[in-house]
Amino acid sequence: MILEMNNIRKHFDDMEVLKDISFSVDSGEVVSIIGPSGSGKSTLLRCATFLETIDGGEIKYMGKTAAHTNDSGNAVYVSQQELHVFRNYCGLVFQHFNLCPHYSVLKNLIDAPVHVQHRSKDEAIDTAMELLQKMGIADRADAYPYQLSGGQQQRVAIARALAMKPDILFFDEPTSALDPELTGEVLKVIRQLAEEKMTMVVVTHEMPFAKAVSNRVLFMDGGVVVEQGDPHDVFDNPQEERTKQFLRVFER
Amino acid sequence: MEFSTMLSTMAPGMLRSVGIFTLTLLGALPLGMIVALLKKSRFVVVRAIIGAYISIIRGTPLMLQLLVWYFGPFYLFQMNIGDWRFPALILGFVVNYAAYFAEIYRGGIESIPVGQYEAAEVLGYSRAQTFMRIILPQVIKRILPAITNEVITLVKDTSLAFTLAYSEIFSLAKQISASQTSFTPFVIAGVFYFVANYVVAFVMSRIEKALDYYK
Ligand SMILES: Nc1ncnc2c1ncn2[C@@H]1O[C@H](COP(=O)(O)OP(=O)(O)O)[C@@H](O)[C@H]1O
Ligand SMILES: [Mg+2]
Repeated sequence: MILEMNNIRKHFDDMEVLKDISFSVDSGEVVSIIGPSGSGKSTLLRCATFLETIDGGEIKYMGKTAAHTNDSGNAVYVSQQELHVFRNYCGLVFQHFNLCPHYSVLKNLIDAPVHVQHRSKDEAIDTAMELLQKMGIADRADAYPYQLSGGQQQRVAIARALAMKPDILFFDEPTSALDPELTGEVLKVIRQLAEEKMTMVVVTHEMPFAKAVSNRVLFMDGGVVVEQGDPHDVFDNPQEERTKQFLRVFER
Repeated sequence: MEFSTMLSTMAPGMLRSVGIFTLTLLGALPLGMIVALLKKSRFVVVRAIIGAYISIIRGTPLMLQLLVWYFGPFYLFQMNIGDWRFPALILGFVVNYAAYFAEIYRGGIESIPVGQYEAAEVLGYSRAQTFMRIILPQVIKRILPAITNEVITLVKDTSLAFTLAYSEIFSLAKQISASQTSFTPFVIAGVFYFVANYVVAFVMSRIEKALDYYK
């Protein structure tokens, strides 16, 4: 298991956003998370990537515990230094890219490898150029983010996350901020990564994509996992009424 | 008095004005950043003290603040510190301008989208690295126009040093004008300030251009 999240609870103010969620991701697996807006999908990814702290439950990467619930029922995390190691296991691609506007594409890709992971600059550049090649934007290495289309920026963001060599990569609606004609190029690179057996968790509203690419689909609603399983089962033969209702909206 | 004599009598005053200007910037630009960061401290007491400092500085005239720095130690604490004129002057300017710069920095820091912090956190940057490598460069670009305004105001504010009878160009101009019954010293001082601000505007626009490579 790359990631195990058990009995995760999270609230904001007096609202329960994650209600006892458990899920795990195996090496090489691609898991899609679907569900209506406000169901807690982003919060789940943000807890998995340590941007938010959980109230209760357990987070494990590679069998090692990053957070667990103590006897009084509160979540406790490992120390900041240890958390640094856990952050290194995972990467996150945001809906709005969040590239550094003052860095060139190449600099966006090598800055963290060099200054956070203390890898050599030459090696980081080689890795970065290889990734840009794969993303089909090697010719834009010297461009600045503002000079790129949304689809190109998102591909740079994916390359930036991959440059850290994560064991698992999370995507939070990677195509939702893009014009419809640009979603294809981003989905294509994610699909390519899936073929290379990159472990990924993708929150998406692109149902055909989720069905084609993932090994497993999770349907979330109201802070719980309503249904999960093989994409063909969940999409073509959903068991739960709420899943059926949700999927009907995407049918034409 | 001949024009050239007048000019050479006033030249040291120009140097002193430039001195006040330079020392104020060297002190206030970094101090303002410290103040801005303290304003976001997690300790309520620190935030309250910084808040009070900024509102007092912004709510009272700089001229009055200079007098307090100069006469305060004696009247408030019966202290007699030899020749305190120049240090009091610079302290007054630095503490005053740091408050204004701090507000500019704070506005700039708060204008950076939260996504920049989140991306940095996921990538494993430390808090210091996030600030120095990712936030600060973007802040500097955004606040440059506001900083330019303050620096131009500072050029003119250096004339307030006459309050403490420090013989920078404006004090000298007043003295020479009175003793020579001539208007010329004021013209010289005026041209000096104008040229100084022209240089400031030129330098700042160069810096803005240099940061134009990204949006
Ligand atoms: N930082 C926050 N503070 C307060 N409420 C939040 C915060 N983040 C998310 N929420 C709330 O939590 C719920 C789940 O949000 P989110 O995880 O973003 O859902 P989704 O990604 O599925 O649309 C929503 O009702 C949202 O308003
Ligand atoms: Mg979301």
